[in-house]
Amino acid sequence: MWQLLKIEWMKMKSYKVFIILSLFFILGIFTANYIVYSVFANVVSKSDAKMLIPDFNPYDFNYVWQTISYTSGFILIMPAMLLIILVTNEFAYRTNRQNIINGWSRKDFIHVKLMLALVFALVSTLIVIVAGFIFGWASGTSVAFNGFTHVLYFFLKTLSYNLLAVLMSVLIKRTGFAIGVYFVYMGAENIISQMLDVFSLKLKKETSFDPGSMGDYLPMNAADGLLSFPNNSIKKLAASSLPTNYTSLVIGFALAYLLLYVWMSRRTVIKKDL
Amino acid sequence: MAILTIEKISKNYGPVKALQEVSFEVPQGSVFGILGPNGSGKTTLLGIVMDVLKSTAGSFKLFDELPGAHHRRRIGTLLETPNFYHYLSAVQNLKITAAIKQTDEADILRVLELVDLLPRKDSPFSTYSLGMKQRLAIAAALLGDPEVLVLDEPTNGLDPVGIAEIRELIRKLAAEGKTIIMASHMLDEVEKVCTHVAILKFGKLITSGEVAEILIHDDVVEIAAANMESLFTAVQQMPGLKGLQEKNGVIQLYFVYDTARLDEINRFCFEKGHTLSLLQQKKKSLETKFLELTH
Repeated sequence: MWQLLKIEWMKMKSYKVFIILSLFFILGIFTANYIVYSVFANVVSKSDAKMLIPDFNPYDFNYVWQTISYTSGFILIMPAMLLIILVTNEFAYRTNRQNIINGWSRKDFIHVKLMLALVFALVSTLIVIVAGFIFGWASGTSVAFNGFTHVLYFFLKTLSYNLLAVLMSVLIKRTGFAIGVYFVYMGAENIISQMLDVFSLKLKKETSFDPGSMGDYLPMNAADGLLSFPNNSIKKLAASSLPTNYTSLVIGFALAYLLLYVWMSRRTVIKKDL
Repeated sequence: MAILTIEKISKNYGPVKALQEVSFEVPQGSVFGILGPNGSGKTTLLGIVMDVLKSTAGSFKLFDELPGAHHRRRIGTLLETPNFYHYLSAVQNLKITAAIKQTDEADILRVLELVDLLPRKDSPFSTYSLGMKQRLAIAAALLGDPEVLVLDEPTNGLDPVGIAEIRELIRKLAAEGKTIIMASHMLDEVEKVCTHVAILKFGKLITSGEVAEILIHDDVVEIAAANMESLFTAVQQMPGLKGLQEKNGVIQLYFVYDTARLDEINRFCFEKGHTLSLLQQKKKSLETKFLELTH
């Protein structure tokens, strides 16, 4: 597998789109968090809105892991897009065929793409951890790791985004179309998710049955739903009117979707004409 | 040993039957031509052998074994179009090929030299002309000096000089004892370089075997004399004659390939009392032969 990844690296390392998108992604994580950081440091803490927010800086250690995971989660579309471009390029240039003609098995081809999704997720998580340390120190607190679970949720989310990107790429094969479908699907799922959440609440109020936030059981939302902004004051106020959050159930769904993505991607590449 | 054994391979695209129970065998050391008009299933067949397409029915073997990825690493293949990473140079692309084939990168410059691409080895693939792309694809197939080559329309997009060079290269490789499987829609190409041939039409195998047996030409000799009727009767007893017909005021005599002797024909007619006013050997055009085979 190491040899296969080395070949993927040869394909990527002098690809301008790869370099530019990677830089933008790293920059994006720091910029997004810096914006949130300075809003809290300079605006919110000095305004009347202080009432509504927690009495801590969300970038203090312990909380920083949750804040940074949640905030960085918004730009995870970038590594996913990069993956779509890299995988669909193979179809566009027909190099997927050439790789196999030259002596890869079909399994080699899809396995290394799935591995790439994993590597992208690991690297993204690593960047977030580094950013966590930097922002934590910047807010002047001492290092602590309570709430680090949120970084693991972040990893799960980026892995889920990336594997879905690989699946869409092998199913759709065309770059622009695949990216388009990815976005449309994200939007559509959000709308359906909101509707399901409203329905969940209605169920909870009208019957004794509490299904939890059902919107979180959808593929992309299962990964999203694990992450939230640390804001206990507001949450406590709203808690009574929210569906219960069954974290382990949501994790279960997220993992099940990961397996589904892997299974479908493998099946598509192994069984069909290339 | 057979390099490739194809057993009753069929391939359907929905209702379209691209291949129908095609079977043949490629012996080691042969230059095997797969000949057929466009759309006859040549590329589909090679695609199945290279595992980029799945057959609907039938099976095949490589090196007398059930096919696997490790067999493909021993074969240099150019299938249909040159497929490379557009943003990478020739050398960078071939490094990837070498890594997948698990052969030495040191061979890259040798193969680029062979196809005259050394001066442009560091330019991105996207800047190449059609002919250069094709030559890079041939270089990639030659990388690592594989014992078997599969070349699908290898002279596609090349200028006449390039075509001659590639044919010369194929002959040289064949002389080294390599097995070459070549798909082509050009009969003269197959005739010039191949030892064996399989002819496909509409996905069906029409015939296969040695080129000398299948693409053989009859020798055709045209004669005429003052008294055609009497000449026609007389030449029927000529030794070695396969057949004859009268056409446009001349008589066409057919002989087995390479057996017609104009001097003997002349003497035979003279001894029968006919002085020939016309005596010439005629080449049967290749197009006629190809049409004959595929219609």
